[in-house]
Order: sequence, then C-alpha cells, then structure tokens
Amino acid sequence: MFETIFVDAANWLRNLLISINLSPFVVEVFLHVVKMVVILVFVLLNVMWLVYMERKVSARFQCRVGPDRNGPYGLAQIFNDVAKLISKEMILPTHVNKKMYLLAPILIFAPPMAILAVTPMGEGMAAVDLNLGLYYFVAIAGINTVVVWMAGWSSNNKYSLVGGMRAVAQMVSYEIPLLLALVGVIVLTGTLNLNGIVDAQKSAWLIFTQPLAFFIYFIAAMAEANRAPFDLVEGESEIISGPYTEYSGMGFAFFFLAEYANLLVMAIMTTTLFLGGWLAPFGWTFIPSWLWFIIKVYFVIWVVMWMRWTFPRIRIDHLMNLAWKFLVPLAIANIFVTGLAKYFIGI
Amino acid sequence: MYGKGLLKGLKVSLGWFLRKNVTENYPDEMPNLPDAFHGNPIFDYDKCIACNLCVTACPNRVITLETETVAKKKVVTAYNFNMQYCLFCGFCQEACRPGAIRFGKDFELTKYKREDIKIKFVKPEQVEKKKQEVLQAAAEKEAAQKAAEAAEKSEAKATEKPKAKAVKKPAEAGAATPNNNMEES
Repeated sequence: MFETIFVDAANWLRNLLISINLSPFVVEVFLHVVKMVVILVFVLLNVMWLVYMERKVSARFQCRVGPDRNGPYGLAQIFNDVAKLISKEMILPTHVNKKMYLLAPILIFAPPMAILAVTPMGEGMAAVDLNLGLYYFVAIAGINTVVVWMAGWSSNNKYSLVGGMRAVAQMVSYEIPLLLALVGVIVLTGTLNLNGIVDAQKSAWLIFTQPLAFFIYFIAAMAEANRAPFDLVEGESEIISGPYTEYSGMGFAFFFLAEYANLLVMAIMTTTLFLGGWLAPFGWTFIPSWLWFIIKVYFVIWVVMWMRWTFPRIRIDHLMNLAWKFLVPLAIANIFVTGLAKYFIGI
Repeated sequence: MYGKGLLKGLKVSLGWFLRKNVTENYPDEMPNLPDAFHGNPIFDYDKCIACNLCVTACPNRVITLETETVAKKKVVTAYNFNMQYCLFCGFCQEACRPGAIRFGKDFELTKYKREDIKIKFVKPEQVEKKKQEVLQAAAEKEAAQKAAEAAEKSEAKATEKPKAKAVKKPAEAGAATPNNNMEES
C-alpha cells in the first residue's frame, strides 16, 4: 500500500493536470518543478535532522545525553539552531571580494540538490531518470571544490586561503581514487544509469562483489564530504574554520548546512552504488522500498559519525600519501582484477 | 594486518556507544551521592551533650553553642551554624562522639535572604521541653534519694544524725544563669 505512495501521487498529479487540458510539455515541466521542490524540502528536512542527529550520536559516543531541554528528546533544538543561524547578522568584511564572497554560500547548496535529482530513492522514484546518472554525479560533485575555493579565496584571509587550498588539494586528490573505484562498479553493472545500477544489484549487492571498491569509495567519499577524520578543510584547531572563517549569520549557516547536505549525498550515493539502493534485503518487501532506502542511508550516516568519534584528524601529508600511494594503486588493481574476472568468468 | 588498529578503535568506540549514559540529569534527578558526602549540617538536639568539642574543632568558628545549667546539667539553649563560613571539612562531625552533628546529602544550600544563611538549630520549645525533663529527672532522683535516706534513717535512728542538709534543692541551684561558651564573631 505504501510501496507506491509517491509514484501514485506523481501519477495523480499528472492525470489531474492532463484532465484540465494542459499540453504534455507544460505538464512535464510543472511535474519537474514539483519534484525539485520536493527534493529541496527533502534535503532541508534531512539536513536539519542531521544537525540534531550529529549532536545526539556524538553525545551517545561520549555517554552523554545530548540536547534534551527543548521539546521531547530535545527535538525542538533543531528549530532553535536554525532560527539562531538565520537571525544573526551576516557581516560583510570590507576587504573581501564581495561578489564571490556572497555567491559562494548560495552556490554551495547547488551540487547536493543537483545530484539528488538523479538518485532513485525508491522503486521508480528518481526525479530524473538520467542515462548518464553516475557520470553526472561525478561531474557535479566536483563543482563543490570550486565553491569552497571561491569562499576561501574571496575572504582575503590567510586561514580561509589555507583552508581553500587544502580543500582543492584534498578533493582533487580523492576524486581520483573515487572515480577509479566507481569504474569497477561500471564494469560489473555495464551501465551508468543509477536505476540500472540498483537493478543490477538484485542478485548480489555490489558491496559483496566489489568489496575493495566499496572500501576505497567510502574513504574517498568521506574525504570528499569533509568528514572527520578528513576534515582538514575546516580543521578548527589549526585554521579556525578554514574557508568559512569570515562567514557569519546566514552565510555561515549555508556552509554549515551544506556540510550535512554533502554528507547526505555521500550516504545516498554509497547506498545506491554499493548497498543495493532501495532493494529490500532478505526479501523483506513488507517495508516499502523508499523506507529501505532511508534506513540504509541513515545507517551509512551513522557509520560515518562512528568513524568521526573513533579516528583523530590525519595530517595533510598523510592524507595525500593515503590517496596517491595507497588508494589510487589499490583502485587500479581493483579495476584490473574486475576486468579479468569479467573477461574470464563473465560475471 | 595493516589497519588492524583502526578496526580495534572502531570496536572500542562502538563499545562506548552501547554503554549506559553517565550523565546525571541534575536539576531533574538528584545525583547519586556517596554516603560520606558533606552537604547540609544536621543537628540532633536530643543527642547533644553540650561537650563543646565541635565548637573547638571547627577551624572557621562556624558553630556557636550556648548552654544553661539546669539542676547541675548543661542544657543546650542555642546551636547556631553559620553556613557562610563552613568549609564542609567534617571536623565537627568527627569530634562529636554521640553523633549529634553530622552532614546530610542536601547540597542546595543557597538562601534567598542573608539572615537565613545562619542556621539556628535549637527551637525554644525544645529547650523548654529539655529543661522540664531535666528538672523532672532531678526531682525523681531527689525523691528516690530522700526515700533511700529515710529508709536508712529509720534503720539507724538511734545512733546517727540526719543528713538531709547535704542534699541541695536542684531547682534553686540551677537558677537560670546562661553560660555563653563562645561569643559570636
């Protein structure tokens, strides 16, 4: 009953629009706008929830309680946090490059939103069923670096600049093992369509057939999302807050929330590519596919938080060494082995 | 194996994740205090023997003890505890043999009014009651002694003179002279 609730809603809206004699093109455009708004709301709700979840999970790892003063289980803390960030003044320092400085926080939310448009969040629930979905994801995810660099450069502050440079160095380095790990996935599934990749995992999830690729992808994606232990871009004990040092109020809020949006995107892509997306494990189809998807995504997010509270931040040269001397050769070896297996066994 | 330490670290932090909270939700729930906690002072009027040891033991002269001699017995008329100077060292508790002064577990000792900081443990009615008890006990004792003497007298009537003069009347002897052991500082 709940399985097709979102698909049914979309079909109902489409039929409604057709019944009032709109042209098919207008109907499709309208439907896409609705889908984009839904994704926007989905991202914002999840980001707000993640701010709360991060604090609660952090507290749990330290045997604390976490926020519990506002509302039941401290849930109203979410609104307090957001309201506080919004209500603060955004200070515009005199020495900054104003256009870039103001544009960066606006653009930072664009890549996560754009990526979520192509991810299937349930059976037949991708807003756009893109043939080159994986390619699109990799291309869009790379833009993030530019935005962080914009913030770091335009702030005209040494800490911001160092943070921005770190962001570029780190993200460019980790994009390579990430891409090479994904090649193994593409070789096995034979498609770039995210729906196709999920469908190809019906027999076995890719985490089991491509464990090495998953390992590399997970590390690289954590570095891409600037999560601890790869949070060198912020590195508050070294460079204050990295590229976000000069930002305050709403500008900072955007960066702060975009961190969580990136975490969400990272978890969603991990789920889609390696954990079978919306597929139900053990044939437990009594839980709707989109709920399975959310459960898996939040499990991945929890694992990321678990890592955060286990490992200390690694040094910048170790970070580079890990990417170039360890992950890249490993990823290439993985492609080679996968190719051989595909050729000889024909998986 | 390379990276074994990372897995061990993950295991350790997962163990912490599953452990019980150590937070005490203090204003909502009272914390779990040890038995030897030094919180609010508690004074047991009936146990106090007015020995003054707590007063001398106190390094900050927090305790003021006032007594009155009733029928040769010291009766505590005031036991004031000046909380603002108390450092909760527990010397008074240690010095007190009968266990009249001790520390409880209540640590929320802030007061709204300044004069409330000084705790006056002894109530006038307690003193009155104690005095009555002492007098009654003395009277009973005297009566018993008299009866014993009378019995003795009747036995040795022929040879010995009466000794009635030796016994003082307690009510007169204890004629209220308040004995201030310590001036308030």
